[in-house]
Amino acid sequence: MKTIGFAGALLTSLLVATALTPVQAGDMTFERALNVDKEPHNWLLHHGNYQGWRFSQLKQINTDTVKNLKVAFTVALGGYESGGRYKFGNLEGTPIIEDGIMYVTDGWGSVYAIDVSSGKKGVIKWKFDPGTDRAWAGDVACCGVNNRGVALWKDKVISISLDGRLFSLNKATGEMVWERKVADPAIAETLTIAPLVIRDLAIVGVAGGEFGVRGWIDATDLNTGQQKWRTYTIPGAGEHGNETWKDGKERWKHGGGSVWETATYDPESDTFYQGIGNAGPDWDPEYRPGDNKWAASVLALSPSDGQIKWGYQYTPNDPYDFDEISEHQIINAKVNGQDRKLVVHAARNGFYYALDRANGSFVLGKQYVDQLTWTPGLDPKTGRPLNYNPNTDVQEYAPGSHGSRKGPASGRLCPSHYGGKNWEPGAYNPELNLLYIPSIEGCNTIDTVEQKDFVDQGGTIKPRERFAGGGGRPTERLYGSLKALDPATGETKVRQRLEYPNYSGALATAGNLVFLGHYDGTFSAHDAKTLQELWSFNMGTGINAPAVTYSVNGKQYIAVLAGSRQSLNVWQNAPELKNTSTASMLYVFEQ
Amino acid sequence: MKSTRLVLAAAALLAFLAAATASARAQAPLSPEDARTLEFGKEIYKIKANCQFCHKWDASGDTGYGGVALSLRKTALNREQFAEVIKCGRPGTGMPYHDQYAYTDKRCYGMTRDDVGKNMPLLGESLSPREIDAVVKYLFAKAVGRGESTYQDCVDFWGTETRQCEPMKK
Repeated sequence: MKTIGFAGALLTSLLVATALTPVQAGDMTFERALNVDKEPHNWLLHHGNYQGWRFSQLKQINTDTVKNLKVAFTVALGGYESGGRYKFGNLEGTPIIEDGIMYVTDGWGSVYAIDVSSGKKGVIKWKFDPGTDRAWAGDVACCGVNNRGVALWKDKVISISLDGRLFSLNKATGEMVWERKVADPAIAETLTIAPLVIRDLAIVGVAGGEFGVRGWIDATDLNTGQQKWRTYTIPGAGEHGNETWKDGKERWKHGGGSVWETATYDPESDTFYQGIGNAGPDWDPEYRPGDNKWAASVLALSPSDGQIKWGYQYTPNDPYDFDEISEHQIINAKVNGQDRKLVVHAARNGFYYALDRANGSFVLGKQYVDQLTWTPGLDPKTGRPLNYNPNTDVQEYAPGSHGSRKGPASGRLCPSHYGGKNWEPGAYNPELNLLYIPSIEGCNTIDTVEQKDFVDQGGTIKPRERFAGGGGRPTERLYGSLKALDPATGETKVRQRLEYPNYSGALATAGNLVFLGHYDGTFSAHDAKTLQELWSFNMGTGINAPAVTYSVNGKQYIAVLAGSRQSLNVWQNAPELKNTSTASMLYVFEQ
Repeated sequence: MKSTRLVLAAAALLAFLAAATASARAQAPLSPEDARTLEFGKEIYKIKANCQFCHKWDASGDTGYGGVALSLRKTALNREQFAEVIKCGRPGTGMPYHDQYAYTDKRCYGMTRDDVGKNMPLLGESLSPREIDAVVKYLFAKAVGRGESTYQDCVDFWGTETRQCEPMKK
């Protein structure tokens, strides 16, 4: 009958309109994401695999042949414009490669699809420029203009921009399908994170821990471009953990807990592990007495609804800016004769942690940095800092390790507030069972400045003003290490001293190599067992991004983004770098 | 009569004083050279030496990454002292020096590198005397001694193609 016919037609058209985008050959699917080891020629996920290993099975380039590595081709990119507080954009992104097409981002969020299939040159097939409001976003970025990469979903590329938007782009043409405003620079929220795609959701988190944000993790339904859920990393009134904010003035509302590096994911338990940033204000812990959950923590969450399964806090009442956003590798290991399912993390605070990934219980922890002075160690049962005082709300930790309102200048803090490891990712070789940690070694001092309240809490600080409660001082020349840890014990098995602190991250391969970029532009390959440097090439500008590897037409290549003028804090003690120029380049190597 | 002359004299004096003060505060039209110098100084403050990173775009000072930087709007320094601080930095603080030869001789506070020792200021972007002079002129024209920055100040600094100044619109 007419009515049913009409209803039927309406239903059909609704089904067509709202149906999941039909999957076509060459589309990125959840199935492929779960089985990246079946496509060793591609690098499909930000950390290589969902478990965060940054390990490639490719071994055409190996310890015997790497001495022949040479530049295959380079590609100049844009994104070096100034904006906000920054003289130029920066490159921290991890490339994604699928079947001979590479997807990279520059700091201001342009996405480049580069055809690398010829092996002789990279042809930019398309470029998408999000038109970032550079002054608006750049004025509230604490630490550079960065974009850590894209994700693939079906026939789309999912990207972000510093000014807080998430994009779905047509993978073939770069045309924008939709954009969603996720973070709001009006309250100093920005985005720098590479999205994590699980099924049909893109998960990102907010940056702005030095500007008084309340951190969150957010999921977008990629079928509709709408928000699916948002989970705050700082619990609200009545929520579990909120009682660890004891100021009585609702300062949890500006408590920090930013999220700016991509989580890892365990399909077996359908859990993703998100590292959480520093408490805000960074260096005035008296402003926020209490443990300040979940700042400086890891959260285990459910991707479908953002529910927190468990949380573990590394540094309660964090007075150091010991952000813990960096990757949490998922590794199974035998610990004390028992098979354990672990989630591990070389923390900014200088300790390596292994936790039970089912419930967040502490399994073991061990110092991995050369020098550590803020605590004598970790409690063997709970992993809490040994000098954590449960009877006080503001933690002193080692006297003089941080400033206070009475004594604003700290003594020597080791590791420096940059941490033993900052955002730069490590890599795990499952064949050798070694976790490679590129570290920052050395110490600095930090100052406390009494934090004033935001205007919405009766004070004078307006939105978009810095909310950090002090600052750091570069008192010593920092150096670096490449260390190989046994993830089952945290023991450093091999170490290699590096001239410069590492801010780019590691790549491990089955060719028994570890690749690292360095601040002075050196790109090096190390023996995965001895960590001896086997090869290097210098690019004459800082490398601030991690390398990846891929193959096309049966030939293996190594790729890395290069171009970074180091910050003033670095040249102080490394004046030989003071005339470094920024650049914006993709380098691809072959043998 | 005497009292009228006195009144006239007083009135003339007041008028003179008013004119003198007014011309000090009024936007006397800049010569093209002066206008270029201010733009040049602004570009250095904003981008080349990146002073705004610590001192903020309107020179009102800041805390956080970049250190604890003073408000230049409230400075009590005169132009010469101001230039010296840019050139030489401030020992024992986070204020960098911008004369690349600072502390190689006694040009900075009468101190060499040995004299200043551990309090050696941070090394900043290298600026020539002409560039430092331009920054000083820019700051004294646009920031020093002025109260809170205004929406117009913001637009002058950032332009209008950004949302940056919207929060300042009344």
